[in-house]
Amino acid sequence: MPEEVEVTIVTVRDIFQDEAAKKSRFSLEYEKLSALIVLDKQDMARLAVKDGQKLLVKNDAGSVIIAVKTSADEAHPGLAFMNNSPWSNQLVADSVGECSIPGFKSIKAKLARMEETANVTPITELFSRMKG
Amino acid sequence: MATCTGCSLLCEDIEAIVTDGGLSHVKNLCRKGHGHFQAVFTERTEPSIDGQKVDLEKAILAAAEILKNAKRPLLYGWSNSTLEAQAAGIRLAEKIGATIDDTSSFCQGLLMERIIAGTIPTCTLDDVRNFADTSIFWGSDPSNSHPRHLSRFSYYPRGDKRQKSYEEERTCIAVDVRKSATAQLCSNYYFRLAPGGDAEFMEAIISVLDGKIPKVADKKKMIELGTLLKKTEYGVIFPGLGMVYSMQDRMDLFERLMARLNEITTFRAIPMVGHYNMRGFNELLREKTGFINRVSFKGGAAAHGPENSVLSAAKSCDAALVIGSDPLSSLPFGTARALSKKPIIAIDPRRSLTTDAAKVVIPSALSGMEAGGTAVRMDGVKIRFEPIIESKRPTDEEILTRIMEAI
Repeated sequence: MPEEVEVTIVTVRDIFQDEAAKKSRFSLEYEKLSALIVLDKQDMARLAVKDGQKLLVKNDAGSVIIAVKTSADEAHPGLAFMNNSPWSNQLVADSVGECSIPGFKSIKAKLARMEETANVTPITELFSRMKG
Repeated sequence: MATCTGCSLLCEDIEAIVTDGGLSHVKNLCRKGHGHFQAVFTERTEPSIDGQKVDLEKAILAAAEILKNAKRPLLYGWSNSTLEAQAAGIRLAEKIGATIDDTSSFCQGLLMERIIAGTIPTCTLDDVRNFADTSIFWGSDPSNSHPRHLSRFSYYPRGDKRQKSYEEERTCIAVDVRKSATAQLCSNYYFRLAPGGDAEFMEAIISVLDGKIPKVADKKKMIELGTLLKKTEYGVIFPGLGMVYSMQDRMDLFERLMARLNEITTFRAIPMVGHYNMRGFNELLREKTGFINRVSFKGGAAAHGPENSVLSAAKSCDAALVIGSDPLSSLPFGTARALSKKPIIAIDPRRSLTTDAAKVVIPSALSGMEAGGTAVRMDGVKIRFEPIIESKRPTDEEILTRIMEAI
């Protein structure tokens, strides 16, 4: 049985995603580059997932379904990366410390594999959650 | 020549032929800048109230009405507006007793405050190009965030005193939690940190500079770094959000590191500001109030504090004017949701989650392309630019002036 894996997500910048955002935040290109988490090989194995499969990422702040990709970096089990976006912000707690800066780069979350047919959470759904 | 307002490098050497359908014969735009310029052709906003298209005047009057009736208005955004618009925004905040804040509030503000106050020494990017022999990218990745930083200023160019440039005279160092694109370039001097490990790393550098054995696993590599820093003639640290978010209330340690480095040689810092005129807003507001962000004019005098940060004010305000920013995309979900329930006036050239949620949308001209003005580059250099295409859309400054007149 695949495990549920706990990770710390660090949000990062990506020139391709940034370009897509500037063109349209509502495009599939932006969704593809934003609704994505990059994991270490060990974490991929623990979850029994391959590139492109979908994960449910959740914590007390919220949850999203996003695609997964294997990291090309040196080993970093337990550490995951996401491009900064409305998808990563679903998982950022709005409680802040003394400096009033949210934990954009230290998001604790649990990951679980989704069935093959699952789709990533679309931006329209993120918007509905906000307005709902 | 055009100026790109796609990031805070404000590249002034852009050439392009602009037609109805798009751009051609483009020179000097990076991928990010190209996306920014292309944006003028897609998903433009129209004046609207409650999602219904109206004429511009009606939208402006509706915005004025909302602000006039608000008891706790928030004016937010500003980092993607010209200095002229920012000045008009600060006047508007004073006039209606509003809270005013910008993206630096949860971005580079902690560092920018010290840079503008002069407690951390800084320099211009032109100084970097001409003199720097060591560039440290700390929690920053210009290859992705500021694509022409390395080629125009910090690594590749042949500056006055650095004719042999990256081949012989420039060294780049990356300090990051991952081997970013920039870190791959600095592979001989890449230091991988654990998330939140920046303060410990700074203490280790200070120890090495003091001739002590650093308390880190790889002591040899750290001593090599200390030697390199001591031999540096003109060093510059480029802190990104990775460092700022990690340091937060320990930013005094970075001040201490900079002071220690400057006892030995010359070291400067330039924060890697994202939005094209965040620094401009910080300087302007500080000039006016003594504070770079998080200011309330409620009751007349300027008050500063975390309760005036967008993170708090998004929840406590009863109306918000958002200009050139998409907080519903960039704020934590809970804060964004709270803000989305308030009557929002969105002034923006382009559609976003915030314009979709806004009660009133006022379309504006895109700075650099359709609107001229002045902005402050990440290093404090003021840049004046002219529009390169004609537009019927009003500038941010014109919109704010008309709202003020209507109030």
